[in-house]
Amino acid sequence: MRRQVPLVLCFFFGVTIILTRFSPHPFSQSFYEEVNSWALIIFPFAFVLATVTLIRSHVTRIRRRSEHWQYSFIVFAGLIAMVVIGVPFGPQHPVFEWLFNNIQVPMDATMFSLLAFFIASAAYRAFRARTFEATLLLVTAIIVMIGNVPIGDLIWSETSSVKQWILNNPNLSARRGIILGVSLGVISQSIRIILGIERSYLGGGD
Amino acid sequence: MLDKLMNIDRRIVFILVALAVIIPTKLSVNLPVSVSEPTQKLYDYIDDLPAGATIMIAFDYGPASLPELHPMARAVLKQCFEKNIRVIGLTLAADAPTLANTLMEEVAEENEAMVGEDYVFLGYRPGGTLVILGMGNSIASVFDSDYSGTALAEIPMMENIKNYDQISLLLDLASGSTTEGWITYANAQYDLRIASGVTGVLISQMYPFLQTGQLVGLIAGISGAAEYEDLIDTPAKAMKWINIESFVHLLIVGLVILGNIAFFIRNRQEE
Repeated sequence: MRRQVPLVLCFFFGVTIILTRFSPHPFSQSFYEEVNSWALIIFPFAFVLATVTLIRSHVTRIRRRSEHWQYSFIVFAGLIAMVVIGVPFGPQHPVFEWLFNNIQVPMDATMFSLLAFFIASAAYRAFRARTFEATLLLVTAIIVMIGNVPIGDLIWSETSSVKQWILNNPNLSARRGIILGVSLGVISQSIRIILGIERSYLGGGD
Repeated sequence: MLDKLMNIDRRIVFILVALAVIIPTKLSVNLPVSVSEPTQKLYDYIDDLPAGATIMIAFDYGPASLPELHPMARAVLKQCFEKNIRVIGLTLAADAPTLANTLMEEVAEENEAMVGEDYVFLGYRPGGTLVILGMGNSIASVFDSDYSGTALAEIPMMENIKNYDQISLLLDLASGSTTEGWITYANAQYDLRIASGVTGVLISQMYPFLQTGQLVGLIAGISGAAEYEDLIDTPAKAMKWINIESFVHLLIVGLVILGNIAFFIRNRQEE
């Protein structure tokens, strides 16, 4: 029963919502809008679930004294500080904004900026013209990198045109192939879920 | 010697990258920027809109992508306010509301735009594609008030705006795959015109949509932002940063070429 009810609901709503897309009848449209509103209401519960999971996983880390367990206290400190200020006073409260602008923004920017250093080091070590394919990738990467910045056209006036050709032709063709493949995969997986063939979303066990 | 060159300490690479950033910053280098076709198309599209038209800007990025996407947002907002095009801001990213709202207020103040009349920031709603679909029927059914809590019915510029039918363009400033969501659900189902401004790593993914016309235009990374600043004739952060980035790219290409020269010489010696 615990598995049948979700399967029936999934089949009913899956098929019905598809049908509403083919019918301009007012009843069909209002049903579609109603279900969309339900989904919007259900979605925030994912945040509650995520918060509970985060708390549980860090409580477990502290209990087991896992590696770097002390940092879990910082997670709780951040979570509590933002909730205590954000929930009663709203995200426009000066303290909430100060915490966001002076802690979260610089930390996020720092983490992202470090990528430049690691990419430079990794590119130096990994980009070797060992095979024909690797050479092709290497040459393409160099043209696109140089063509993406103003200095490229100063080195050779056609750099940005060649870069644009690479993006417009080989890149576009490959991307379109990937998009079509992924889309067909999504359609087939959706049909499997609606028909109850794919049941992994229900979780393990009977 | 060759082995040393091929296995150079990564800390030396880090120092070189730091120098490639610091030196051009101190020298204030100004390289000429050439405007690419996708950026020009977006600029022209907004420029051709009549005064009083409304566009939406989705700030779908967090603080990590702020340096790349904020300059785009600033440039487009400035163009809109100067042309009396009204702007509705919103976001699908949970960590974006504060930074998006602050930016809109800043640019509005610089251009004497009034909240509620020239622009409004709706804030964030969870749900991604559901939010996009919901606004196709009624914006008020998803956002009943703006970010500061004013009911949509009380906001003068929202008086005649019910859904996408009254919106001339949606510009998605994205650091993830949200643009594809806007195209699939807002463009395909509701005929909303879409443009995009994305971080450097996402540029190649946008080209199929540019070719089909599903994207009106594209601001591609920090170079696209610099091009847009050039188009609105207001050089700012992106123009400065793209010059610095030029030297970092040049350094990386130089290192890759150096590494490969050493690799080839060693292979030849081994043969």
